[in-house]
Amino acid sequence: MQSKEAVVDDGEITSSLNVANSEFDEWNNFGDDDIMQQQYTIQADEAKKVPFVGDKETLSSLAAEYKSGSPILLEKIKVLEEQYAAIRRTRGDGNCFFRSFMFSYLEHIMECQDQAEIDRIQPNIEKSRKALQTLGYADLTFEDFFALFLEQLECVIQGKETSISHEELVIRSRDQSISDYVVMFFRFVTSGEIQMRAEFFEPFILGLTNTTVEQFCKSSVEPMGEESDHVHITALSDALGIPIRVVYLDRSSCDTGGVSVNHHDFMPVAGDLPNASCSSERNIPFITLLYRPGHYDILYPK
Amino acid sequence: MQASRARLFKEYKEVQREKAVDPDIQLVCDESNIFKWTALVKGPSETPYEGGVFQLAFSVPEQYPLQPPQVRFLTKIFHPNVHFKTGEICLDILKNAWSPAWTLQSVCRAIIALMAHPEPDSPLNCDSGNLLRSGDVRGYQSMARMYTRLAAMSKKG
Repeated sequence: MQSKEAVVDDGEITSSLNVANSEFDEWNNFGDDDIMQQQYTIQADEAKKVPFVGDKETLSSLAAEYKSGSPILLEKIKVLEEQYAAIRRTRGDGNCFFRSFMFSYLEHIMECQDQAEIDRIQPNIEKSRKALQTLGYADLTFEDFFALFLEQLECVIQGKETSISHEELVIRSRDQSISDYVVMFFRFVTSGEIQMRAEFFEPFILGLTNTTVEQFCKSSVEPMGEESDHVHITALSDALGIPIRVVYLDRSSCDTGGVSVNHHDFMPVAGDLPNASCSSERNIPFITLLYRPGHYDILYPK
Repeated sequence: MQASRARLFKEYKEVQREKAVDPDIQLVCDESNIFKWTALVKGPSETPYEGGVFQLAFSVPEQYPLQPPQVRFLTKIFHPNVHFKTGEICLDILKNAWSPAWTLQSVCRAIIALMAHPEPDSPLNCDSGNLLRSGDVRGYQSMARMYTRLAAMSKKG
């Protein structure tokens, strides 16, 4: 059993070893497919522990995580508690940015019954569809994902036959057959935007991976489970015209004494911005994500 | 399950429509099971596989297209990235670089590209990989050509 785990840990490296090294005879029958299967099993076990999207929790649950940790982090969480009421965790499966974005966005539309936002975003979605077609993607590869997201947008508006409750929204975002499809929709939109504006994104991508723009999209945007960076966030925010606030919780501190928590607002380049929260204030993001190195969760402002 | 079926059905229709476009690939769905496919691909020209026709077996998971199809060579092939005994293929898009942007048809195209451009640094067939890594291109080509003749060409020719 232990040898199996070792194989999974080292991924591809050991898969070539299993042929090279006749000493490990039983590995000869243990191919990449078995490794993939085992990986899926591990993911399924993980899934039982943390749902794709968790329940709302108070920020004190966040503080509890760092009880014996860095005092800077605890100080920062105190600052966060002044501004934010709650946190909603997402599973750390490499899709957490897209998943947080999905839930936060749909929940916003549901709570504000923001039909205007749906009307605003639809042309942008069609633009993304055209972009993918222009880039040579076959419709059949992405259309199911687009259709499923548009369906979710319709469902969160009340008073229709298809309307769903908030409880149902949570259930759906935990249902792989819906949740992963929406994540994949965002991955397609992000990839299309990056490639359509390749010249703009190229220097950022070179800074990250030293590959071509197309290669970056193929290997780091489109595959499920690939983590998101500022390039992904910028592209998604621009493509859909949705501002996103990211609050950074890390160990950095400033010399001036008092602890402060940094945030960065990703503001789309396009002109027509959605309304912030349920008020008429524009240009303030209604999506707020908490970033801790390697992971995104959802934050709820007070 | 429903989603994967619907997607595969679309691919099936696309394959029927595009038959003429890709004469090097003949992709066929099992008559009774849409999750099982086979393909005949032509060995690319100016490679030791030229003139050969190679059979691939596809097994599509229920999570498709979120998860990749399992593909292996049924025809014996001497190639650094194909397991000599099992026909298993070492190709990133069939593993961690998979995305729903790929189709069974484009996977076939990627496999043909892999036949033309072996990657000896991640070998599944070490003998083949070592020949290329040590610079013995001629040795690799003659072995690959021999197996193409033995396994991938019709006996009549």
